[in-house]
Amino acid sequence: MAGRPDLGRADLVTMLAELNATPVEQVSERVGSMELAWLVHLVEQRYDRRLDLTDEQLASVRTVDDALAVFHASLTAAADG
Amino acid sequence: MAENALGTDPEWVDELLLGGDPGDVCLRLPDPVDRATLRRLVADARTRLAGAGLRRGGAVALRLPPSLAYVVHLLATWRSGGQAILLDHRLTDHEVDRALERLTPQVVVAPVRTGGGGLRIFHDVTAGVQAYSDRPAGTGHAVIQLSSGSTGPSKVIGRTGADLAAEVLRYTHIDGVALPGERIILLPSMVHVLGLVGGLLYGLHARVELVPPQRLSGDAILAAVAERDTPATVLGVPFHIGLLASTTPTGPLPQLKRMTTGGELVPAAVARAFTDRYGVPLGNMYGMTEVGVIGTDLYGRHRPAIAPAPGIEVRESSTGELWVSCPTNPYVGLADPTRWADGWLHTRDAGAVDPDTGLVTIKGRFDSQVSVGGMKVDLTEVESTLTGLPGVASAVVVWDDGITAYVQPDGPLTTDALDELLAQRLAGYKRPRNLRLLDQLPRTTTGKLVRSATALRAAGS
Repeated sequence: MAGRPDLGRADLVTMLAELNATPVEQVSERVGSMELAWLVHLVEQRYDRRLDLTDEQLASVRTVDDALAVFHASLTAAADG
Repeated sequence: MAENALGTDPEWVDELLLGGDPGDVCLRLPDPVDRATLRRLVADARTRLAGAGLRRGGAVALRLPPSLAYVVHLLATWRSGGQAILLDHRLTDHEVDRALERLTPQVVVAPVRTGGGGLRIFHDVTAGVQAYSDRPAGTGHAVIQLSSGSTGPSKVIGRTGADLAAEVLRYTHIDGVALPGERIILLPSMVHVLGLVGGLLYGLHARVELVPPQRLSGDAILAAVAERDTPATVLGVPFHIGLLASTTPTGPLPQLKRMTTGGELVPAAVARAFTDRYGVPLGNMYGMTEVGVIGTDLYGRHRPAIAPAPGIEVRESSTGELWVSCPTNPYVGLADPTRWADGWLHTRDAGAVDPDTGLVTIKGRFDSQVSVGGMKVDLTEVESTLTGLPGVASAVVVWDDGITAYVQPDGPLTTDALDELLAQRLAGYKRPRNLRLLDQLPRTTTGKLVRSATALRAAGS
Protein backbone atom coordinates (compact mmCIF):
# COMPACT_ATOMS: atom_id res chain seq x y z
CA MET A 1 0.00 0.00 0.00
CA ALA A 2 2.91 2.31 -0.59
CA GLY A 3 1.71 5.87 -1.04
CA ARG A 4 -1.62 5.53 0.73
CA PRO A 5 -1.79 8.10 3.46
CA ASP A 6 -2.46 5.65 6.29
CA LEU A 7 -0.43 7.95 8.47
CA GLY A 8 -2.12 9.02 11.68
CA ARG A 9 -1.55 11.67 14.24
CA ALA A 10 -0.48 9.02 16.76
CA ASP A 11 2.30 7.93 14.39
CA LEU A 12 3.75 11.43 14.33
CA VAL A 13 3.50 11.77 18.10
CA THR A 14 5.35 8.46 18.52
CA MET A 15 8.08 9.70 16.16
CA LEU A 16 8.47 12.94 18.13
CA ALA A 17 8.63 11.00 21.40
CA GLU A 18 11.49 9.01 19.92
CA LEU A 19 13.37 12.17 18.92
CA ASN A 20 13.31 13.70 22.38
CA ALA A 21 13.30 10.40 24.27
CA THR A 22 10.17 11.50 26.13
CA PRO A 23 6.92 9.65 26.92
CA VAL A 24 4.25 10.03 24.22
CA GLU A 25 1.97 11.97 26.58
CA GLN A 26 4.64 14.65 27.04
CA VAL A 27 5.06 15.37 23.33
CA SER A 28 4.28 18.98 22.55
CA GLU A 29 1.58 19.86 20.05
CA ARG A 30 3.92 22.47 18.58
CA VAL A 31 6.53 21.51 16.02
CA GLY A 32 9.81 23.37 15.48
CA SER A 33 12.04 23.18 12.40
CA MET A 34 14.15 20.37 13.81
CA GLU A 35 11.13 18.30 14.80
CA LEU A 36 9.74 18.84 11.33
CA ALA A 37 12.97 17.67 9.66
CA TRP A 38 12.85 14.60 11.88
CA LEU A 39 9.23 13.84 10.92
CA VAL A 40 9.93 14.26 7.20
CA HIS A 41 12.92 11.94 7.53
CA LEU A 42 10.92 9.20 9.30
CA VAL A 43 7.86 9.52 7.05
CA GLU A 44 10.14 9.23 4.02
CA GLN A 45 11.73 6.12 5.53
CA ARG A 46 8.33 4.62 6.24
CA TYR A 47 6.99 5.15 2.75
CA ASP A 48 10.35 4.68 1.06
CA ARG A 49 9.90 7.80 -1.01
CA ARG A 50 10.91 11.41 -0.99
CA LEU A 51 8.38 14.05 0.04
CA ASP A 52 9.04 17.03 -2.15
CA LEU A 53 7.82 19.72 0.21
CA THR A 54 8.31 23.35 -0.63
CA ASP A 55 9.73 25.95 1.75
CA GLU A 56 6.22 27.43 1.94
CA GLN A 57 4.70 24.10 2.94
CA LEU A 58 7.36 23.57 5.58
CA ALA A 59 6.98 27.11 6.89
CA SER A 60 3.23 26.60 7.30
CA VAL A 61 3.75 23.80 9.80
CA ARG A 62 3.45 24.86 13.41
CA THR A 63 1.67 21.91 15.01
CA VAL A 64 1.49 18.13 14.74
CA ASP A 65 -1.86 18.52 12.95
CA ASP A 66 -0.33 20.95 10.42
CA ALA A 67 2.45 18.44 9.75
CA LEU A 68 -0.06 15.63 9.29
CA ALA A 69 -2.03 17.71 6.77
CA VAL A 70 1.10 18.53 4.75
CA PHE A 71 2.25 14.90 4.75
CA HIS A 72 -1.19 13.67 3.69
CA ALA A 73 -1.29 16.16 0.84
CA SER A 74 2.16 15.17 -0.33
CA LEU A 75 1.58 11.41 -0.06
CA THR A 76 -1.79 11.65 -1.80
CA ALA A 77 -0.37 13.78 -4.60
CA ALA A 78 2.46 11.28 -5.06
CA ALA A 79 0.01 8.34 -5.13
CA ASP A 80 -2.25 10.08 -7.65
CA GLY A 81 0.60 11.25 -9.80
CA MET B 1 49.01 38.22 17.45
CA ALA B 2 45.50 39.51 18.21
CA GLU B 3 46.28 42.81 16.54
CA ASN B 4 43.92 44.90 14.53
CA ALA B 5 43.38 42.38 11.72
CA LEU B 6 41.92 45.01 9.45
CA GLY B 7 45.23 46.81 9.65
CA THR B 8 47.15 43.74 8.56
CA ASP B 9 47.69 42.64 5.02
CA PRO B 10 44.51 41.00 3.69
CA GLU B 11 46.68 38.58 1.77
CA TRP B 12 46.31 36.24 4.76
CA VAL B 13 43.14 35.13 2.99
CA ASP B 14 45.13 33.98 -0.06
CA GLU B 15 47.89 32.43 2.00
CA LEU B 16 45.70 30.58 4.47
CA LEU B 17 42.59 29.76 2.46
CA LEU B 18 42.57 30.45 -1.25
CA GLY B 19 46.05 29.32 -2.30
CA GLY B 20 46.88 25.96 -3.81
CA ASP B 21 46.35 24.11 -7.06
CA PRO B 22 43.76 25.91 -9.23
CA GLY B 23 42.25 22.57 -10.25
CA ASP B 24 41.66 21.36 -6.68
CA VAL B 25 37.97 20.96 -5.90
CA CYS B 26 37.08 22.74 -2.66
CA LEU B 27 33.27 22.50 -2.69
CA ARG B 28 30.78 20.03 -4.20
CA LEU B 29 27.33 21.61 -4.39
CA PRO B 30 27.00 18.98 -5.98
CA ASP B 31 28.71 20.53 -8.99
CA PRO B 32 32.40 20.85 -8.20
CA VAL B 33 33.82 24.30 -7.46
CA ASP B 34 37.59 24.37 -7.89
CA ARG B 35 40.02 26.90 -6.47
CA ALA B 36 40.38 28.78 -9.73
CA THR B 37 36.60 29.25 -9.89
CA LEU B 38 36.40 30.27 -6.24
CA ARG B 39 39.18 32.84 -6.68
CA ARG B 40 37.40 34.29 -9.71
CA LEU B 41 34.06 34.50 -7.86
CA VAL B 42 35.78 36.17 -4.90
CA ALA B 43 37.41 38.73 -7.20
CA ASP B 44 34.02 39.48 -8.81
CA ALA B 45 32.39 39.88 -5.41
CA ARG B 46 35.15 42.27 -4.31
CA THR B 47 34.28 44.48 -7.24
CA ARG B 48 30.58 44.46 -6.28
CA LEU B 49 31.32 45.18 -2.61
CA ALA B 50 33.60 48.08 -3.51
CA GLY B 51 30.96 49.37 -5.90
CA ALA B 52 28.45 49.43 -3.04
CA GLY B 53 30.82 51.42 -0.86
CA LEU B 54 33.07 48.96 0.98
CA ARG B 55 36.42 50.47 1.84
CA ARG B 56 39.33 48.82 3.59
CA GLY B 57 38.54 48.85 7.31
CA GLY B 58 34.79 48.89 6.72
CA ALA B 59 32.31 46.17 7.60
CA VAL B 60 29.98 43.99 5.52
CA ALA B 61 26.89 42.43 7.07
CA LEU B 62 26.19 39.03 5.55
CA ARG B 63 22.57 38.03 5.98
CA LEU B 64 22.78 34.93 3.84
CA PRO B 65 21.88 31.30 4.39
CA PRO B 66 24.69 28.79 3.88
CA SER B 67 25.38 29.08 0.15
CA LEU B 68 28.12 29.64 -2.38
CA ALA B 69 27.12 33.32 -2.28
CA TYR B 70 27.86 33.35 1.46
CA VAL B 71 31.28 31.73 1.05
CA VAL B 72 32.25 34.05 -1.79
CA HIS B 73 31.14 37.29 -0.09
CA LEU B 74 32.74 36.29 3.21
CA LEU B 75 36.10 35.65 1.55
CA ALA B 76 35.74 38.76 -0.61
CA THR B 77 35.08 40.90 2.49
CA TRP B 78 38.22 39.64 4.17
CA ARG B 79 40.28 39.87 0.98
CA SER B 80 39.18 43.52 0.72
CA GLY B 81 40.50 44.22 4.22
CA GLY B 82 36.96 44.35 5.63
CA GLN B 83 35.13 43.01 8.65
CA ALA B 84 32.40 40.40 8.15
CA ILE B 85 29.32 40.62 10.38
CA LEU B 86 27.61 37.23 10.26
CA LEU B 87 23.84 37.37 10.70
CA ASP B 88 22.02 34.05 10.84
CA HIS B 89 19.48 34.11 7.99
CA ARG B 90 16.79 32.92 10.42
CA LEU B 91 16.98 36.14 12.44
CA THR B 92 13.92 38.33 12.06
CA ASP B 93 13.95 41.81 10.49
CA HIS B 94 13.58 43.18 14.00
CA GLU B 95 16.72 41.36 15.22
CA VAL B 96 18.69 42.27 12.10
CA ASP B 97 17.71 45.96 12.25
CA ARG B 98 18.90 46.21 15.82
CA ALA B 99 22.23 44.58 14.89
CA LEU B 100 22.75 46.86 11.87
CA GLU B 101 21.99 50.01 13.84
CA ARG B 102 24.57 48.97 16.37
CA LEU B 103 27.31 47.73 14.04
CA THR B 104 26.87 50.17 11.10
CA PRO B 105 28.30 48.13 8.23
CA GLN B 106 29.14 49.93 5.00
CA VAL B 107 27.42 47.21 2.95
CA VAL B 108 24.68 44.64 3.55
CA VAL B 109 24.54 41.46 1.49
CA ALA B 110 21.19 39.64 1.48
CA PRO B 111 19.42 37.27 -0.90
CA VAL B 112 17.33 38.71 -3.70
CA ARG B 113 16.30 35.19 -4.60
CA THR B 114 16.61 31.84 -2.81
CA GLY B 115 15.96 28.69 -4.79
CA GLY B 116 15.72 24.99 -4.10
CA GLY B 117 13.20 22.94 -2.19
CA GLY B 118 12.57 22.65 1.50
CA LEU B 119 15.01 21.19 4.05
CA ARG B 120 17.99 22.46 2.12
CA ILE B 121 21.34 22.54 3.91
CA PHE B 122 23.02 24.61 1.23
CA HIS B 123 20.90 27.11 -0.63
CA ASP B 124 20.90 28.38 -4.17
CA VAL B 125 21.10 32.11 -3.55
CA THR B 126 21.36 35.17 -5.72
CA ALA B 127 22.86 37.84 -3.48
CA GLY B 128 22.02 41.52 -3.53
CA VAL B 129 24.66 44.01 -2.38
CA GLN B 130 23.46 47.28 -0.83
CA ALA B 131 25.12 50.31 0.69
CA TYR B 132 24.21 50.88 4.34
CA SER B 133 26.53 53.46 5.96
CA ASP B 134 29.83 55.22 5.33
CA ARG B 135 31.36 54.47 8.72
CA PRO B 136 34.45 52.35 9.31
CA ALA B 137 34.10 49.15 11.33
CA GLY B 138 33.88 49.76 15.05
CA THR B 139 36.67 47.31 15.86
CA GLY B 140 39.58 45.61 14.14
CA HIS B 141 37.99 42.16 14.23
CA ALA B 142 37.77 40.14 11.02
CA VAL B 143 34.52 38.54 12.04
CA ILE B 144 31.64 39.63 14.25
CA GLN B 145 29.09 37.09 15.46
CA LEU B 146 26.00 37.53 17.58
CA SER B 147 25.16 35.28 20.47
CA SER B 148 21.78 35.12 22.15
CA GLY B 149 22.09 37.51 25.08
CA SER B 150 20.57 37.68 28.50
CA THR B 151 19.87 41.43 28.49
CA GLY B 152 17.81 42.30 25.45
CA PRO B 153 20.13 42.68 22.48
CA SER B 154 22.48 39.87 21.53
CA LYS B 155 26.04 39.73 22.77
CA VAL B 156 28.50 40.82 20.10
CA ILE B 157 31.56 38.60 19.76
CA GLY B 158 34.59 39.60 17.71
CA ARG B 159 37.51 37.53 16.46
CA THR B 160 40.59 38.79 14.66
CA GLY B 161 42.05 37.33 11.50
CA ALA B 162 45.04 36.17 13.55
CA ASP B 163 42.71 34.39 15.97
CA LEU B 164 40.82 32.66 13.15
CA ALA B 165 44.11 31.63 11.53
CA ALA B 166 45.33 30.24 14.85
CA GLU B 167 42.18 28.16 15.19
CA VAL B 168 42.53 26.79 11.66
CA LEU B 169 46.11 25.77 12.45
CA ARG B 170 44.95 24.28 15.77
CA TYR B 171 42.71 21.93 13.78
CA THR B 172 45.67 20.73 11.73
CA HIS B 173 47.29 19.47 14.96
CA ILE B 174 44.26 17.49 16.16
CA ASP B 175 44.43 13.76 15.53
CA GLY B 176 41.25 12.54 13.85
CA VAL B 177 40.29 15.52 11.67
CA ALA B 178 39.71 15.06 7.93
CA LEU B 179 43.01 14.96 6.02
CA PRO B 180 44.07 16.59 2.72
CA GLY B 181 42.32 14.91 -0.19
CA GLU B 182 39.49 13.67 2.01
CA ARG B 183 35.95 15.05 2.35
CA ILE B 184 33.86 16.68 5.05
CA ILE B 185 30.12 16.05 4.75
CA LEU B 186 29.12 19.42 6.13
CA LEU B 187 25.89 19.70 8.11
CA PRO B 188 26.30 22.61 10.57
CA SER B 189 25.68 26.14 9.37
CA MET B 190 28.81 27.92 8.14
CA VAL B 191 27.54 31.07 9.83
CA HIS B 192 28.40 29.57 13.22
CA VAL B 193 31.76 28.62 14.60
CA LEU B 194 31.77 24.85 14.09
CA GLY B 195 30.70 24.97 10.45
CA LEU B 196 32.64 28.17 9.77
CA VAL B 197 36.08 27.28 11.12
CA GLY B 198 35.89 23.49 11.60
CA GLY B 199 34.24 23.11 8.20
CA LEU B 200 34.75 25.93 5.73
CA LEU B 201 38.04 27.53 6.78
CA TYR B 202 39.79 24.32 7.82
CA GLY B 203 38.60 22.60 4.63
CA LEU B 204 39.90 25.39 2.40
CA HIS B 205 43.20 25.47 4.26
CA ALA B 206 43.79 21.71 4.43
CA ARG B 207 42.52 20.90 0.90
CA VAL B 208 39.58 18.92 2.23
CA GLU B 209 36.53 18.92 -0.06
CA LEU B 210 33.41 20.34 1.56
CA VAL B 211 30.24 18.47 0.66
CA PRO B 212 26.90 19.70 2.00
CA PRO B 213 24.25 16.98 1.44
CA GLN B 214 21.44 17.86 -0.94
CA ARG B 215 18.96 18.10 1.90
CA LEU B 216 18.55 17.43 5.59
CA SER B 217 17.72 13.72 5.72
CA GLY B 218 19.56 10.55 6.66
CA ASP B 219 19.38 9.23 3.09
CA ALA B 220 20.84 12.43 1.64
CA ILE B 221 23.74 12.38 4.11
CA LEU B 222 24.55 8.77 3.22
CA ALA B 223 24.22 9.56 -0.49
CA ALA B 224 26.80 12.33 -0.08
CA VAL B 225 29.17 9.91 1.66
CA ALA B 226 28.70 7.27 -1.05
CA GLU B 227 29.07 9.69 -3.95
CA ARG B 228 32.86 9.42 -4.15
CA ASP B 229 35.54 6.96 -3.09
CA THR B 230 37.60 9.28 -0.89
CA PRO B 231 37.30 9.04 2.92
CA ALA B 232 34.49 11.13 4.37
CA THR B 233 33.97 12.63 7.82
CA VAL B 234 30.42 13.68 8.68
CA LEU B 235 30.47 16.92 10.67
CA GLY B 236 27.24 17.77 12.48
CA VAL B 237 25.40 18.36 15.72
CA PRO B 238 23.76 15.72 17.93
CA PHE B 239 20.45 15.89 16.02
CA HIS B 240 22.28 14.55 12.96
CA ILE B 241 23.50 11.50 14.90
CA GLY B 242 19.86 10.61 15.52
CA LEU B 243 19.06 11.04 11.82
CA LEU B 244 21.84 8.65 10.81
CA ALA B 245 21.17 6.18 13.63
CA SER B 246 17.61 5.83 12.31
CA THR B 247 18.60 5.43 8.65
CA THR B 248 19.29 2.03 7.15
CA PRO B 249 22.18 2.20 4.68
CA THR B 250 21.42 0.49 1.38
CA GLY B 251 24.93 -0.92 1.13
CA PRO B 252 28.38 -0.85 2.67
CA LEU B 253 29.97 2.55 3.18
CA PRO B 254 33.73 1.96 3.27
CA GLN B 255 34.31 5.70 2.70
CA LEU B 256 32.71 6.68 6.01
CA LYS B 257 35.58 7.36 8.34
CA ARG B 258 34.02 9.11 11.29
CA MET B 259 31.19 11.31 12.49
CA THR B 260 32.09 14.29 14.63
CA THR B 261 29.60 16.52 16.41
CA GLY B 262 29.75 19.69 18.42
CA GLY B 263 27.05 21.07 20.65
CA GLU B 264 25.48 19.45 23.64
CA LEU B 265 26.55 16.06 24.89
CA VAL B 266 24.99 13.03 23.22
CA PRO B 267 23.20 10.47 25.41
CA ALA B 268 25.17 7.22 25.60
CA ALA B 269 22.29 5.25 24.04
CA VAL B 270 22.26 7.48 20.93
CA ALA B 271 26.04 7.20 20.59
CA ARG B 272 25.80 3.42 20.85
CA ALA B 273 22.97 3.21 18.30
CA PHE B 274 25.16 5.12 15.85
CA THR B 275 28.37 3.13 16.39
CA ASP B 276 26.48 -0.18 16.30
CA ARG B 277 25.01 0.74 12.94
CA TYR B 278 28.04 2.25 11.24
CA GLY B 279 31.04 0.79 13.07
CA VAL B 280 33.07 4.02 12.86
CA PRO B 281 34.19 6.38 15.64
CA LEU B 282 31.76 9.00 16.89
CA GLY B 283 33.84 12.03 17.80
CA ASN B 284 32.83 14.81 20.13
CA MET B 285 33.94 18.43 20.16
CA TYR B 286 33.54 21.26 22.63
CA GLY B 287 33.83 24.83 21.49
CA MET B 288 32.44 28.33 21.84
CA THR B 289 31.84 31.18 19.45
CA GLU B 290 34.31 33.27 21.48
CA VAL B 291 37.36 31.03 20.97
CA GLY B 292 36.38 28.26 18.56
CA VAL B 293 37.36 24.67 19.26
CA ILE B 294 38.38 24.15 22.89
CA GLY B 295 38.69 20.39 23.13
CA THR B 296 37.96 17.17 21.27
CA ASP B 297 37.48 13.45 21.65
CA LEU B 298 37.47 12.44 18.01
CA TYR B 299 37.88 8.71 18.66
CA GLY B 300 35.08 8.59 21.25
CA ARG B 301 37.54 7.13 23.76
CA HIS B 302 37.05 9.59 26.59
CA ARG B 303 33.30 10.14 26.37
CA PRO B 304 31.98 12.27 27.97
CA ALA B 305 35.38 13.96 28.58
CA ILE B 306 37.44 15.83 25.98
CA ALA B 307 41.14 16.63 25.67
CA PRO B 308 42.04 20.32 25.32
CA ALA B 309 42.96 21.27 21.76
CA PRO B 310 46.65 22.08 21.10
CA GLY B 311 47.50 25.52 22.44
CA ILE B 312 44.33 25.78 24.54
CA GLU B 313 44.47 25.75 28.30
CA VAL B 314 41.43 24.85 30.36
CA ARG B 315 41.21 25.27 34.12
CA GLU B 316 38.60 24.79 36.77
CA SER B 317 37.78 27.87 38.84
CA SER B 318 37.25 27.77 42.58
CA THR B 319 33.49 27.65 41.95
CA GLY B 320 33.77 24.75 39.49
CA GLU B 321 33.39 26.85 36.34
CA LEU B 322 35.54 26.02 33.32
CA TRP B 323 37.87 28.81 32.23
CA VAL B 324 39.53 28.76 28.81
CA SER B 325 42.66 30.65 27.75
CA CYS B 326 41.67 33.58 25.53
CA PRO B 327 44.27 36.36 25.28
CA THR B 328 41.92 39.24 24.50
CA ASN B 329 38.38 40.15 25.49
CA PRO B 330 36.15 38.72 22.72
CA TYR B 331 33.11 40.82 23.67
CA VAL B 332 32.59 44.03 21.76
CA GLY B 333 31.51 46.94 23.93
CA LEU B 334 31.25 44.79 27.02
CA ALA B 335 33.73 44.78 29.88
CA ASP B 336 32.23 42.14 32.13
CA PRO B 337 34.82 40.49 34.37
CA THR B 338 32.43 37.62 35.06
CA ARG B 339 32.70 36.67 31.37
CA TRP B 340 36.33 37.44 30.57
CA ALA B 341 39.22 38.62 32.72
CA ASP B 342 43.01 38.47 32.62
CA GLY B 343 43.25 36.26 29.56
CA TRP B 344 40.63 33.74 30.66
CA LEU B 345 37.19 33.25 29.17
CA HIS B 346 34.68 32.23 31.82
CA THR B 347 32.61 29.67 29.94
CA ARG B 348 29.65 29.51 32.36
CA ASP B 349 29.90 25.76 31.92
CA ALA B 350 30.30 23.76 35.10
CA GLY B 351 33.05 21.22 34.72
CA ALA B 352 36.11 19.46 36.03
CA VAL B 353 39.69 19.09 34.84
CA ASP B 354 41.39 15.80 35.76
CA PRO B 355 44.70 16.78 37.38
CA ASP B 356 46.45 13.64 36.11
CA THR B 357 45.25 13.37 32.52
CA GLY B 358 44.17 16.97 31.83
CA LEU B 359 40.89 15.62 30.43
CA VAL B 360 37.94 17.99 30.78
CA THR B 361 34.40 16.95 31.69
CA ILE B 362 31.55 19.40 31.10
CA LYS B 363 28.72 19.07 33.58
CA GLY B 364 26.18 21.60 32.36
CA ARG B 365 25.44 25.30 32.30
CA PHE B 366 25.66 27.73 35.19
CA ASP B 367 23.37 30.23 33.50
CA SER B 368 20.18 30.34 31.48
CA GLN B 369 21.69 29.31 28.15
CA VAL B 370 20.34 26.21 26.46
CA SER B 371 21.33 24.53 23.23
CA VAL B 372 18.73 24.01 20.51
CA GLY B 373 20.16 21.87 17.74
CA GLY B 374 23.63 23.20 18.46
CA MET B 375 22.46 26.84 18.60
CA LYS B 376 22.83 28.63 21.91
CA VAL B 377 19.67 30.33 23.14
CA ASP B 378 19.52 32.41 26.26
CA LEU B 379 16.16 31.85 27.95
CA THR B 380 16.23 35.32 29.47
CA GLU B 381 16.29 36.83 25.97
CA VAL B 382 13.14 34.87 25.13
CA GLU B 383 11.56 35.90 28.42
CA SER B 384 12.38 39.60 28.10
CA THR B 385 11.03 39.59 24.53
CA LEU B 386 7.78 37.97 25.68
CA THR B 387 7.42 40.34 28.61
CA GLY B 388 7.84 43.30 26.26
CA LEU B 389 4.91 42.26 24.04
CA PRO B 390 1.56 44.07 24.20
CA GLY B 391 -1.01 42.08 26.15
CA VAL B 392 1.57 40.30 28.29
CA ALA B 393 1.55 41.04 32.03
CA SER B 394 4.40 38.69 32.91
CA ALA B 395 6.14 35.62 31.56
CA VAL B 396 8.45 32.86 32.69
CA VAL B 397 10.53 30.84 30.23
CA VAL B 398 12.11 27.56 31.32
CA TRP B 399 13.66 24.51 29.69
CA ASP B 400 11.30 21.56 29.95
CA ASP B 401 12.09 19.17 27.10
CA GLY B 402 12.25 22.27 24.91
CA ILE B 403 11.88 26.01 25.42
CA THR B 404 8.67 26.38 27.41
CA ALA B 405 6.95 29.68 28.09
CA TYR B 406 4.22 30.44 30.63
CA VAL B 407 2.49 33.74 29.99
CA GLN B 408 0.08 35.73 32.12
CA PRO B 409 -1.95 38.03 29.84
CA ASP B 410 -3.20 41.43 30.91
CA GLY B 411 -6.12 41.37 28.51
CA PRO B 412 -7.53 39.23 25.72
CA LEU B 413 -4.69 37.20 24.22
CA THR B 414 -4.40 33.92 22.32
CA THR B 415 -1.38 31.70 21.76
CA ASP B 416 -1.80 32.26 18.01
CA ALA B 417 -1.60 36.03 18.48
CA LEU B 418 1.45 35.63 20.69
CA ASP B 419 3.01 33.35 18.08
CA GLU B 420 2.52 36.01 15.42
CA LEU B 421 4.15 38.70 17.57
CA LEU B 422 7.06 36.48 18.56
CA ALA B 423 7.65 35.48 14.96
CA GLN B 424 8.37 39.13 14.18
CA ARG B 425 10.91 39.45 16.97
CA LEU B 426 12.70 36.15 17.51
CA ALA B 427 14.34 33.69 15.14
CA GLY B 428 12.47 30.39 14.94
CA TYR B 429 14.99 28.37 16.92
CA LYS B 430 14.64 30.78 19.86
CA ARG B 431 10.84 30.62 19.98
CA PRO B 432 9.07 28.51 22.63
CA ARG B 433 8.13 25.01 21.63
CA ASN B 434 5.52 25.01 24.38
CA LEU B 435 3.48 28.13 25.02
CA ARG B 436 0.92 28.20 27.83
CA LEU B 437 -1.39 31.01 28.91
CA LEU B 438 -2.16 31.14 32.62
CA ASP B 439 -4.57 33.50 34.37
CA GLN B 440 -2.05 33.79 37.14
CA LEU B 441 1.59 32.72 37.10
CA PRO B 442 2.59 30.88 40.26
CA ARG B 443 4.54 33.04 42.72
CA THR B 444 6.44 32.43 45.90
CA THR B 445 5.14 33.80 49.20
CA THR B 446 7.41 36.80 48.67
CA GLY B 447 5.85 37.44 45.28
CA LYS B 448 8.68 36.19 43.07
CA LEU B 449 7.81 34.26 39.94
CA VAL B 450 8.23 30.50 40.38
CA ARG B 451 10.78 29.04 37.94
CA SER B 452 10.52 25.36 38.72
CA ALA B 453 9.55 23.44 35.57
CA THR B 454 7.62 20.92 37.66
CA ALA B 455 5.60 23.57 39.52
CA LEU B 456 4.88 25.43 36.29
CA ARG B 457 3.81 22.25 34.55
CA ALA B 458 1.42 21.54 37.42
CA ALA B 459 0.03 25.08 37.24
CA GLY B 460 -0.46 24.79 33.49
CA SER B 461 -2.29 21.47 33.49
